[in-house]
Amino acid sequence: MGNRSKFIWSRLAQMVLTLWIIATILFFIFRLMPGNPLVAYIDPTFTKEQQDILMAQFGLDKPLWMQYLIYLANLVQGELGDSFKFRAPVMEVIWGVLPNTLYLMLFSFVIAYLVGILGGVLLAWKRKTRFETIGIIATLFTRSAPQMWVGMIVLVIFSFHLNWFPSGGASATGVVYASEWEKLTSLSFLKHLFLPSLTAAIYLMGLPLLLMRSNMLDVMGESYVEVARMRGLSEQRIMLKYAARNAALPVVTAMAVGIGYALGGNVVIEMVFSWPGLGRLLVNAVSASDYALAQGAFILSAAVMVIMNFVADILYSFLDPRVTFGKGR
Amino acid sequence: MKKAAKWKYGLMATTVLLGTVLSACTSETQTQPKSTDTPKTEPADAKSREIRTLQILSRPQASAPDEYERANLIAGAMKELGINAEIKAMPYEQQSDIVWYKRDEWDMTGWQMAARPERLDPDEFVYNLFHSSTAKDGYNFIGYNNPEYDKIAEQQRITVDREERKNLIFKAQELIASDVAYLFNVHPKLKYVYNHQVFDPNSVVEMAGMGIRNIWTYLNAAPIGQQKNMVLNSNDSVQALNPFYISGSFDSWVTELIWDRLMRIDKDGLPKPWAAESVTWKTDTQIEIKLRANMKWHDGKPVTAEDVKFSYEAPLTGEVPMYKPFVEIIDKIDIKDPLTLEFTLKRPWAAFETASLSKLNLVPKHIWGPIIEDLKNKPENAESYQEKTPIGSGPFKYENWKFKEEVVLSANTEHFSPPKIEKWIMREIPNTEASLGMIENGEINFLAVFPGDGQLLQQKVEASPNLTMVTTTDLGFQFFAMNHRRPPFNDVAFRRALAAAVDRDMMAQVVYKGFAEPGDSVISPALPIWKNPSLPYPSGGVEEAKKILQEAGYEWDAAGKLLYPAGKKEELGK
Repeated sequence: MGNRSKFIWSRLAQMVLTLWIIATILFFIFRLMPGNPLVAYIDPTFTKEQQDILMAQFGLDKPLWMQYLIYLANLVQGELGDSFKFRAPVMEVIWGVLPNTLYLMLFSFVIAYLVGILGGVLLAWKRKTRFETIGIIATLFTRSAPQMWVGMIVLVIFSFHLNWFPSGGASATGVVYASEWEKLTSLSFLKHLFLPSLTAAIYLMGLPLLLMRSNMLDVMGESYVEVARMRGLSEQRIMLKYAARNAALPVVTAMAVGIGYALGGNVVIEMVFSWPGLGRLLVNAVSASDYALAQGAFILSAAVMVIMNFVADILYSFLDPRVTFGKGR
Repeated sequence: MKKAAKWKYGLMATTVLLGTVLSACTSETQTQPKSTDTPKTEPADAKSREIRTLQILSRPQASAPDEYERANLIAGAMKELGINAEIKAMPYEQQSDIVWYKRDEWDMTGWQMAARPERLDPDEFVYNLFHSSTAKDGYNFIGYNNPEYDKIAEQQRITVDREERKNLIFKAQELIASDVAYLFNVHPKLKYVYNHQVFDPNSVVEMAGMGIRNIWTYLNAAPIGQQKNMVLNSNDSVQALNPFYISGSFDSWVTELIWDRLMRIDKDGLPKPWAAESVTWKTDTQIEIKLRANMKWHDGKPVTAEDVKFSYEAPLTGEVPMYKPFVEIIDKIDIKDPLTLEFTLKRPWAAFETASLSKLNLVPKHIWGPIIEDLKNKPENAESYQEKTPIGSGPFKYENWKFKEEVVLSANTEHFSPPKIEKWIMREIPNTEASLGMIENGEINFLAVFPGDGQLLQQKVEASPNLTMVTTTDLGFQFFAMNHRRPPFNDVAFRRALAAAVDRDMMAQVVYKGFAEPGDSVISPALPIWKNPSLPYPSGGVEEAKKILQEAGYEWDAAGKLLYPAGKKEELGK
C-alpha cells in the first residue's frame, strides 16, 4: 500500500511538471506564430489610437516575460483570461460549446467501443476463416478512409437523398431547450447527433477492434483457457467470460486515453456537420491569433489528457493484479 | 499539447507542400520571353541594373483560389516583360501582418475591399486608402503619396454640394488610375439564392453594389406559403451582439436589425431618413434632426432625443473606441424638444450622413447609461459587455443566440416599418457543400454566403424548380497592391506597364467564369452616381507595356531580363 501512495504522489508531481511545460510551450508557440490579434481589425477606419487601445486591452503592450508571469500566475488560480475575439472569459466561451463536443464524443465512443470490442472477439473466434479476412480488410478500410470523405458520403445519402436526418447543426432551426437534459432527451437533438457520431464511430472502432482481436489471440493461447476447454465449458462462455475479460484490459487504457484526446474536438467532423463544438472553436482561435482562447482551450484538453493517462495508470493497478509498484515507480 | 504540436507540424508541412507546388506551377506557367523582342547587345552595367526577383504575397489556393490564380496570371504577365516574380502563399493573418506592420518589406500583395453599406459613399475609399496621412500606420499601406491627390481627397470631404463633390471624386479616380496606385483586378459579382416558393420574388429587393442580401429584403420579403421564417446561412461565428462594438461581419448583419439608425442607406446607395423623420442641413455644419413620434425600445420604453444624444456622445467617453472616428467631427448636440435635435459639426463633412448618421446604432440610455458609467472605473470598455437580452428599437427583436449555431430574431410588429416575415434565423454552416444541399432541400431558404464556384451554383439553381439566383456587381473589389516605397514600384512608368500587361478581362472570364467585372477604380460600376466611366487606366497588353517601359528608359539584357533605366541600380539585393 505504501508503494501505491508513493507511486501516486510521484505521478502527481510528474503531472504538474508536464502541465507547466505544456503551458510554457503553448504560451510561446502562439506568440511566435506570424500574425497578431490586431490584424483581425484592419479596416480603412482603423486608427493608430485604436490599435494602441486594443494592444493595451489584450495585455500585449507589456514585455513578453511579464506577460508570461501574469499568465502563469493566472493559470495557477484557474483564470484563463478573456478571449480577444469574443470579448468574453475564455471559460465561458469554451463552456458554450464543450457540452456538444462531449455528447458527440461520448456517443461515438460508446458505439465504436461496443462494436469494436464485440467485433474483435468475433474476429478472433472466427480465426482463419473468410469472415476474418473480410472483417480485417473492412476495418482497415474504415480506419484509413478520410473522415471528411466519409462524412460527405453519409451526408449525401442519409440527409440529402433519403431525408432521414438533418444535415447540420446540433438542434432544429429556432428550437430553444429549457435545460441540457431536455436537449439530450429530445428526438430532434438525437437525430442531429446521429450522423456525426456515426462518422466518428466508423473511424474510431478500428482501434478497439484490432486491439481486441490481437489480445484475444494472445489470451487464447494461455493455459487457463486450455483448462477451461478441458473442463468442457461452452465455447461462448470461454470466449466472453474467460478470454474477453482479460483481453479487454488494454482496450480500457486505449479508451481512457482516447477520450482525453477526443476532448479537443474533431475539427473535420464538426466542419462537415456544422457541429458547434470545441474543434471549430479552436481553429477559429488559432487563425484569429486569439492567444487567450487558444491557450486556454489547448491547456484544458492537454490537462484532461494528462489526467486521463494518470487515471488509466491507477485504474490498471486495480484491474490487473500483475501490475506492481517497483522501487519508486 | 500533442494536438498543438500536431497542428504546428501540419501547418509546416502544408507550407512546404504549397511552396513546392507553387514553384512547380510558376515555372510551368511562365514562359521565357521571346528573344526577338529584346536587343542582342547588353549594356555593360547590366548585372547591377537587373531587377531582383519580386515577391507577390497571396493567400493559399486552398483558402482563396481566385486570389492565387490572379497572382499566377500577374506573375505570368511579368515574366513576359522579363521580370522574375515569385508567389509566396501564406494565410491571411500572416499576410496582413507583413503588409500592415512591415511596411517596407513587401513588394506586391493580393488584397480586397468588401461591400458594406457605409462604403456606398466614396469617402472611405477615396480618403483613407490613399491620403498620405494614413501611410504611416493607417490603411494607405502602399505608401501612395501625391500632394495633388491629398488636396482633392480633403476637398471632397468638406464639399457638401453633390455635383461639385462628384467632380472631385471623378478627379480623384483619374489620379488613382493614371498613377496606377493599385493594380486593379475585378469587381466580383455577388451571388445570392432564395427560395421563390417561400418568398414572393417581387418582394425581394436588390440593392446597388450589395445584392439582395440586405435589410430591405428582410423587411419586405413576403412569405407566400406555410414557411413564414427566413432562414439564412453564415459560415463563421457571431462574436458578439453589441451596439457599440464593430466586430465580425456576421455580427453586423444582426446588429443592424436589432438597433435602428437615424438614417439608413437606401437601395440606390443614398442615405434616407429612417428613425429620423427628417434630416435638414441648416448650414454646412448644422443639421436639424426630427425623430419619428411613438418609437419604442423593445422593452416598451419610448425612444427620445436624450437617447439619440447619448448614442452619439458615448463613443467620445473612450469606452467605445471603434465608433469614435465617426463622431469626433461633432462639436455639440443640442436638444430642442423631446423629438428634435441639432447637431453642430466642427467642420463640414460630406460623408456625415452615410458614415455617421447611417452607421451609429441608436442605444437606450436607460440601459447603457449606467453600464458606461460603471465601465469608466474598470479596465474593460463597452466592447466586452454582452447584454443578456439585447434591447434596441429596430424592426427585429432579439430572441435567442445559440453560440456557433444560430441567431434567432423575431419581427417587431410595433415598428414603424414592420417586417412581413415572422422570424429571421441565421444558421452557422461552415460546410459550403452542405449549405448548397440545404438550400435545395429547404432547410435554409436564403443562401446568404457562398464562397464556392459561381458556375456550379448557377447549374444547381437552374436544375432546381424552387430556387432563384440574383447576381449583382459588387461594391467591393479585388486588387493587387504594389509597395510604392520600394523600387521598381516607386516609378509610375513601371506601375503603368504592369497595369497594361495584366489582362483584367481574362481574369473575369477565366478566374471568375464571368462572375466578375474588370475593375479600373475604387468605385464600382454598380454606383453610376460616383463612378467615373472614362478613366486613363493603362491597358493594351504586353506590347503596350513594353513600349511604356522602353519610353521610360528601361532596357533588357541578352537573356531578356528587364533592367532599370541607365543610372539606376538594384538597391534591394536579390
